[in-house]
Amino acid sequence: MEPSDAELLVRLAGGDRDALAPLMERHERRLYRIALAYVRNPDDALDVVQETFVRAYQNAARWDGTAEVGRWLTRIGVNQAIDRYRRDKRRRMTHEPLEEGDHDERAADDGPSPERRVAATETGARIGAALAALPEKQRSIFVLRHYQDMALEEIAETLGLPLGTVKSGLHRAILGLRQRLEGLQP
Amino acid sequence: MKLFHERWRIAVSLLAAGALDNSDRDATFAHIEACEACRREHAESVTLLEAFARDPVHGAEPEIPTTFLVSRVQARLDAVVPSSLWRWRWTAAALVLAASLAVVVPAVVSRFVPAAPTTVPVAMGEDSLRRLERNMARAQAARYLDQAQDVLVTMAAAPRDCDHDKARVDVGAEVLRSRELLTRRALLVEMDQDGLASARPVLEDVEHVLREVASLRSCVRAGDVERVRRDLEQRRLLMKIRLMSRELEG
Repeated sequence: MEPSDAELLVRLAGGDRDALAPLMERHERRLYRIALAYVRNPDDALDVVQETFVRAYQNAARWDGTAEVGRWLTRIGVNQAIDRYRRDKRRRMTHEPLEEGDHDERAADDGPSPERRVAATETGARIGAALAALPEKQRSIFVLRHYQDMALEEIAETLGLPLGTVKSGLHRAILGLRQRLEGLQP
Repeated sequence: MKLFHERWRIAVSLLAAGALDNSDRDATFAHIEACEACRREHAESVTLLEAFARDPVHGAEPEIPTTFLVSRVQARLDAVVPSSLWRWRWTAAALVLAASLAVVVPAVVSRFVPAAPTTVPVAMGEDSLRRLERNMARAQAARYLDQAQDVLVTMAAAPRDCDHDKARVDVGAEVLRSRELLTRRALLVEMDQDGLASARPVLEDVEHVLREVASLRSCVRAGDVERVRRDLEQRRLLMKIRLMSRELEG
């Protein structure tokens, strides 16, 4: 019988790195999509997943045994994606001051390897820019709801937020996206 | 009234997002029937979310097999300081503190109590302190070299095209990390010089190449990266880093 997520995490906490592979097999794809929804670039999304499991290994001993492992990993993943996004944003601001609206242009102009870039389609580019403009909390809530189909209660637990905050956050995220994506056809 | 209706607006958004349970869903539908503005909002939100369903993120798959990603995570874990080393460092810090107290407390006490000829414990404390400082300096240097190696390998191996200029390559992350590492290099200079004497030539070579990288803009010509790569090869720096890291880690 295959070990449960909890058993694998306990093994990780004991320093058994062999437990990484099965845990990654189970959660990698889901975490990748969350990361991709955030950072909008496959390479960066892989980095986020990689760092998520590095942190999971380093912090496995702190897992309290009651939280569901998938949610615990998701929370680490969301934090990593936010960190990555902030770092990239700082880097762009430090090295390449952007003009107003330049973000959209960057996202849309991903030329030679369109198959590799989520932003390659016009829809992807506009969605990426609109998501990037949302406050982090709203973006996290929206990403978990829309891309992972998580229930509001699960989102609240994963992000450590009150349920009411999750509801109003999702509402505001939808309003914000509607404003920014006016005219986007389904 | 406005606050009351704001609650309905939230419910309408949640309805569009499919996030309401049965009873709330029925109540919100009933409200929408009677509220034209809400009906419009609901329709707009549904349209938006349908457009989001076309986002290519849905169904995206990682571009490398899980086994490769597992290897990457293992390599990262090898590169970061093992947790046992961190534990050792805390222990070392506690010992350093204890040794310092062993030096300071007698000095303070001696101001109030007539001096006694007890120089031996103080001398032992200083020895331990020196040894611990030396070990810590070497561990720090090994870590610095590992991280420098990461930066230089990434720089030389796989630069990406710049987003806005396909004729150039994006080395922004490596430039930033080089600058951070150079700051840490300055701290290493102040640490135990004897303990790091054998590492000095490699540290200087690494510093030279890191400065070269740190001086670049984030988006550079391929020729600039090629120059760094040649420099690395001429100095056989990656091999030297590997060997020196092992030596420092003992």
